[in-house]
Amino acid sequence: MVLITCLANVASQVGIGRIMAGNKFHYPVGQPELPPAEELRWRVALIEKALVSLETAVEEPKIF
Amino acid sequence: MIKVLHYLNQFFAGIGGEDKAGHEVLFLPHAVGVGAVIESAIKVHAVEYATIACGDNYFHEEEEKALQAIRASIDQFQPDFFLAGPAFNAGRYGLACAKLCSWVQDNWRIPAITGMHEGNPGIREVGRRLFVIQTGASAASMPETLKRFSLLIERLISRDKKAIEDFRAEHCLPIPRRFTVKTDTPDYVRAVDLLLAKLNGQPYESEIPRIEAQQDPIPNLTGRLKDATVALVTEGGLVPKGNPDRLESSRGTKYFKYAIGDRDDLKRGEFQAMHTGYDTSTVDEDPDRIVPLDAMRLLEKAERFKKLHDHYFVTTGTGAMPSKMAEIGAGIADELAGSGINAVILTAT
Repeated sequence: MVLITCLANVASQVGIGRIMAGNKFHYPVGQPELPPAEELRWRVALIEKALVSLETAVEEPKIF
Repeated sequence: MIKVLHYLNQFFAGIGGEDKAGHEVLFLPHAVGVGAVIESAIKVHAVEYATIACGDNYFHEEEEKALQAIRASIDQFQPDFFLAGPAFNAGRYGLACAKLCSWVQDNWRIPAITGMHEGNPGIREVGRRLFVIQTGASAASMPETLKRFSLLIERLISRDKKAIEDFRAEHCLPIPRRFTVKTDTPDYVRAVDLLLAKLNGQPYESEIPRIEAQQDPIPNLTGRLKDATVALVTEGGLVPKGNPDRLESSRGTKYFKYAIGDRDDLKRGEFQAMHTGYDTSTVDEDPDRIVPLDAMRLLEKAERFKKLHDHYFVTTGTGAMPSKMAEIGAGIADELAGSGINAVILTAT
């Protein structure tokens, strides 16, 4: 499991294994300033990073 | 003169075993059994010790009568301390100890002490500020437990606040509940008092007990991501427009799953976020900003992973009890594991 959140330090303190910083507290996987097509490209890149974290073995909380 | 009143069940009071579990409340003007051990340990003080004995079944089946009798004993004896148990992992006994101690502390404003194992269902009945000394699961831990009872009484007698709180931190069970209490001081005054105490380097304690997270092992992907089914989960409260299942927007107690198998994108107007913990307007404009379905579909088509699970799971993670959230998390995890999911992306606000 990978958690995408803006409270990465809290996630780390409670022992979540894979942590990724989301964009904003109220839209962790959004980038509303961008035009829709670019926002989607940005989101695909973010989720790709999340997938890489899922492929990475971790033993203790790690922020990707 | 220190007056101690100690509640014991029929077994520990030496009345009898299960056959005497219906025994009614009995006041004894002296220490019995474990009470005698505690009395002896604190004998440097002038101690007057009395015992209330009651059958495990009687307390639960005739609770009102039992409380009435105990009330009469307390009013007559006027104890400075109320003890109950220890109950270890005995359920009926533990419940009686927790209920009684909470009731005594609320009504007579005297320190109440009990002891039990963390698995005892009595934990659920424990009131705010009660001392619940952690014990082993069985009476094998009796000697150590009684030492702790005596030590705590000593510290309470000495009124050494720091020593008492040190004892609580070291030997008492943390109670993972919030309580409604009445107070004469408004919250803003209490908040400023706390802040001033902190700034002045004085001892202070939050009114909301800190709950330590339980550390769970971190799972790793067992096969290749190329062969994995991946699920999307969120605590961001995203539900179909109109919130058909009435997901709470805060203090959530439920989770739901919604089908996305025939969608490539979550469209504005078809979903909405129920969540008082964040400004949901940006997510409502484009729900993929909290449940990234559009991006997941593109990566699925690119064969980065085998399949996106055909439902996403959702709850509302704001203002809720951690214990309830743990239940919800376990429920979602069970469903995911049962559906052959290999990996999860969880988005949180």
